[in-house]
Amino acid sequence: MKRLIGWSSIHAPYVLLSLVAVQMPVMGQLSGADTATVVNQKIRSAWKVNNITPTGTVDDAQYLRRVYLDIVGTIPTAEAVREFLQDTSSNKRQRVVSSLLKDPKYAQNWTNYWDSVLMGRTYRAQTLDKVAWKQWLNKQFANNVPFNKFVYDLISAEGINSTGGNVSKAAGLNRRPDQMAIRSSEDLKTNSIEDGAITPQGRVNGAVNWILKYQATPADLAGNASKIFLGVQIQCAQCHDHKTEKWKQDDFRKFTACFMNARPRQVGEYEKGSIRRVDLEDANRQFAGAGKKAMGRNEYLNQPPMALDGTDFSNAANRRKGLAAWMTTPENPWFAQAIVNRMWNHFLGRGFVEPVDDFRPGNPVVMPEVLNVLTKDFVAHDFDVKYLIRLITSTEAYQRTSLAGAKADPENKYYSRFRLKPIGPEQTLDSLILSTGVGTLLEKISGGNLEALKFSILRQLTFLFDVDEEFEQKDFEGTIPQALLLLNSNLTNRTTQPIPGSALAHILNDAVSDNQVIEELYLRTLSRKPTISETKKWLEFVNAPRDVVVTAPSPQPEISKREERKMFDRKQIAQNKAFKKGGSGPDLLTRFPTKYNTFEASPKMQAFEDMFWTLLNSSEFVFNH
Amino acid sequence: MITDPKSKELDELEDMREEEVRRELGRCPGPVDLWSHEISRRGAMKVGMGGLLSVMFAQWLDPRTAAAMAQANAPGGKAKSCILLWMNGGPSHLDTFDPKPGTRNGGPFKSIKTRVPGIEICEHLPGLADVADKMCILRGMVSKEGNHQRAQYLMHTGYAPNPTITHPSLGSWVNEELGLQTSDIPNFVSISGPSIGAGFLGVQNGPFVVQNPAQPPVNINYAPNINEERFDRRQSALANLESQFALETGDLKVKGRQAVYAKAVRMMKSPKLKAFDISDEPEAVKAAYGTGSFGQGCLMARRLVESGVKFVEVVLDGWDTHQDNFNRTSKLMGQVDPGFSMLIKDLAERNLLDSTLIIWMGEFGRTPVINGNEGRDHFPSAWNAVMAGGGVRKGIVHGQTDSDGMKVVENPIAVPNFFATVSSLLGMNPEKSFMTPVGRPIAITELGKPIRDLMA
Repeated sequence: MKRLIGWSSIHAPYVLLSLVAVQMPVMGQLSGADTATVVNQKIRSAWKVNNITPTGTVDDAQYLRRVYLDIVGTIPTAEAVREFLQDTSSNKRQRVVSSLLKDPKYAQNWTNYWDSVLMGRTYRAQTLDKVAWKQWLNKQFANNVPFNKFVYDLISAEGINSTGGNVSKAAGLNRRPDQMAIRSSEDLKTNSIEDGAITPQGRVNGAVNWILKYQATPADLAGNASKIFLGVQIQCAQCHDHKTEKWKQDDFRKFTACFMNARPRQVGEYEKGSIRRVDLEDANRQFAGAGKKAMGRNEYLNQPPMALDGTDFSNAANRRKGLAAWMTTPENPWFAQAIVNRMWNHFLGRGFVEPVDDFRPGNPVVMPEVLNVLTKDFVAHDFDVKYLIRLITSTEAYQRTSLAGAKADPENKYYSRFRLKPIGPEQTLDSLILSTGVGTLLEKISGGNLEALKFSILRQLTFLFDVDEEFEQKDFEGTIPQALLLLNSNLTNRTTQPIPGSALAHILNDAVSDNQVIEELYLRTLSRKPTISETKKWLEFVNAPRDVVVTAPSPQPEISKREERKMFDRKQIAQNKAFKKGGSGPDLLTRFPTKYNTFEASPKMQAFEDMFWTLLNSSEFVFNH
Repeated sequence: MITDPKSKELDELEDMREEEVRRELGRCPGPVDLWSHEISRRGAMKVGMGGLLSVMFAQWLDPRTAAAMAQANAPGGKAKSCILLWMNGGPSHLDTFDPKPGTRNGGPFKSIKTRVPGIEICEHLPGLADVADKMCILRGMVSKEGNHQRAQYLMHTGYAPNPTITHPSLGSWVNEELGLQTSDIPNFVSISGPSIGAGFLGVQNGPFVVQNPAQPPVNINYAPNINEERFDRRQSALANLESQFALETGDLKVKGRQAVYAKAVRMMKSPKLKAFDISDEPEAVKAAYGTGSFGQGCLMARRLVESGVKFVEVVLDGWDTHQDNFNRTSKLMGQVDPGFSMLIKDLAERNLLDSTLIIWMGEFGRTPVINGNEGRDHFPSAWNAVMAGGGVRKGIVHGQTDSDGMKVVENPIAVPNFFATVSSLLGMNPEKSFMTPVGRPIAITELGKPIRDLMA
């Protein structure tokens, strides 16, 4: 049994300052199941008090789709759905969550999540090594590093940004971080940039890249650190005192001062076209530069470095270490609740506080007692993120159906019904590729550089979806360009044809009846079996008389060799150039084979294409529900 | 931690590095490239459909300022549409509309007389010289942002970037305020560049992007082997699924998505889609606008405005001339001159100039001092822009720089006042505020006051 860390032991200054933090009577430590029970009880009583009738429990197939999308970022395969439906054990939901937490895609999904929250669309910079950065992130999630340690290590990061090498590969687009491993010292020099590598100048620490991102704008580093990890938008006070909230301009300046000793020095020789290697440390040196950059700093340089509660780091040997320790201590009232709220938001589609990183007295917490129970339990379990995920996915709130309830609260603030969550661009693309089975084809089209091709498609997707690192997908109906993409692009049209190697080709080959094709397409897209009436409707649809439609070749522009080179030139990608103009690159998907080989275009075949296309365009596909 | 004692602090390296990269690559590193300060676009998406809108964006207008505004607003409001000619990278004022030939910083270009006595502009802009009587040249632009990304954000939104909020670009404000819900085609179109999005106003107010004016918008045509009949068959199958799902979930998001799909399909089938197709235009007209993508973009902008589009941005990239400034700038002017001048003439002939505000500008200007690479660097403290049509005063120069072009000595235009002027010209109250998701009201402009001197 771990030591109980009760909120009653909060030190006096915290209590005084924790206007936002939720106070609760002490409770004994509970196991995950017990905590889930307490959470369930509290939410049930909120339903009762507010006269809400919750929806029923979600069925197995939908639960499976939910946990796949939320934990590993893609829909399940048809086989996984079938297997799960056949499994008769009573604890299969917990077991599937546990197995997803062990899947390599778990670390990859959360690396993507935190990369987009923290680093965003930053691709080009001489000192930023996105590969080392993502490798570092990946390690944190693969090893399930406690969240407070993760943040401590990030805020206080020191060390070398990169093993060096060409600036283009540092954009980190050519390989997945989990596929990278040092194979030889030659690798170290040429292709593999390694978080944790020991170089003659010292150890590479991928985390420093986040601090380096803000080298010229320390106020934004402070603002983001506070917003993301404490849920306090103190940067609102950057320009003037906040009218209604407690934070003053001085508080912000003092908080920013905590980051002012982050000082990078160049190490080794700088070579043209390569990453500039620097060693970041927290040092109390005079700034050497007196130019433009210095001006923006003066505002913060002479302030005493202080945490939000006035803890002073003036005498700390290392300001960032001092701040990081203060931020991540179990007693900090803001820290744990901020991440719990963020995770709850990820899974349930709405935080107890909205926006997720905006805790303040004027923005009340919904069901503060539930947030508090979860927070306390998360702290008691040493900030174990996987534990928190198991806990959240086992709650009744997470297992409501998304069906219209008999009597639901209009804003659905009490989670009486599962919120529809639009799946993000990465999830959409990965799920589309999985459904249509075109992964291998894409690999071929891209000449073995699938990641770069996916990146280019994602550029188009994110661009058209107008989303970004901190995009919140709530209340999102999409845009016209996004609708046009799903309606008319190759991504949903060529991929749904029975071209060799595609899902439809396989299905049509193997299936012995129309019913089988219909069921298979449902499993692949909506991760469930069709209902009897759905099957009936589709049987009518595919057997209705129709003509085969063959049109003149596509009016899509041809891709010139030059454009293609640009598209796969890593340097261009690194600098975002190939995609800068107009927001997306040429459409390589026009290279999909146009011949079906073994299939004769028939009315029924085209009817199945239409069905496949329809399922991919449906709300049921693009929402996590 | 082992550090090389001879190594330098990055601060020291900063200026050196800009210089060095510039020399090596012949293009701009800029603080963006070096430090990559990306703009946080924290879009708190509050997409409202119909009645929801009013709930989600509680409009907020201080009654005290309302009366004052009504007055301040009085001269404006003529413009019904706006065309922004965006000079990406930042053009030099000395080489465009504020020439100082023969001076230390003047460079090799000569100036030429225009149709307006006393106003001279660069020799590479003869077409514009001929329509100077319809232009309002602003030689007093002043800002503080010298980093591309930050300045692009500033000059699209009127606000400096701040991580706690993402401001809407001007086009998005126009879309929200003036856009017609019933229009078949988008109210905000960006040609050859992605522009800047709608921020807290929500993605539905973002730009519809045309990547290449010579081609139809992406994904607007039927996919291969799809004809109208087959497309409609798919649509009705989809409608079945959607109404079932909407019924089951009772979720407004599903209905919202159906509405967006309906709009997309309406656009695909709209006769107004022809506005995007410049191949209809006579060859002589196409040639007069210039055959580059900027000229063709200007032509498309005219067609879009004629079809009722409220805001069109046409991007011309390449103004970041740290090296070889004069050759590159003269080439760029070779595109600007026909496109921009034909746009003015063509709109005037069609009686649309008075109701269409044209703005020509980039994110900042360039250093008057010519650097060692025959280039000019970033310079936000004195630069120029041009406005025409839409109720702007005609045939004037507003503002003046000193003999070196280093600072504005008369009628400086601060960014908020510029945006307040544009906003008023378009009939939008610059002080009108919207409640943002973080509970802070944000006005269309940041305490900007319209500049009456610029209004006809």
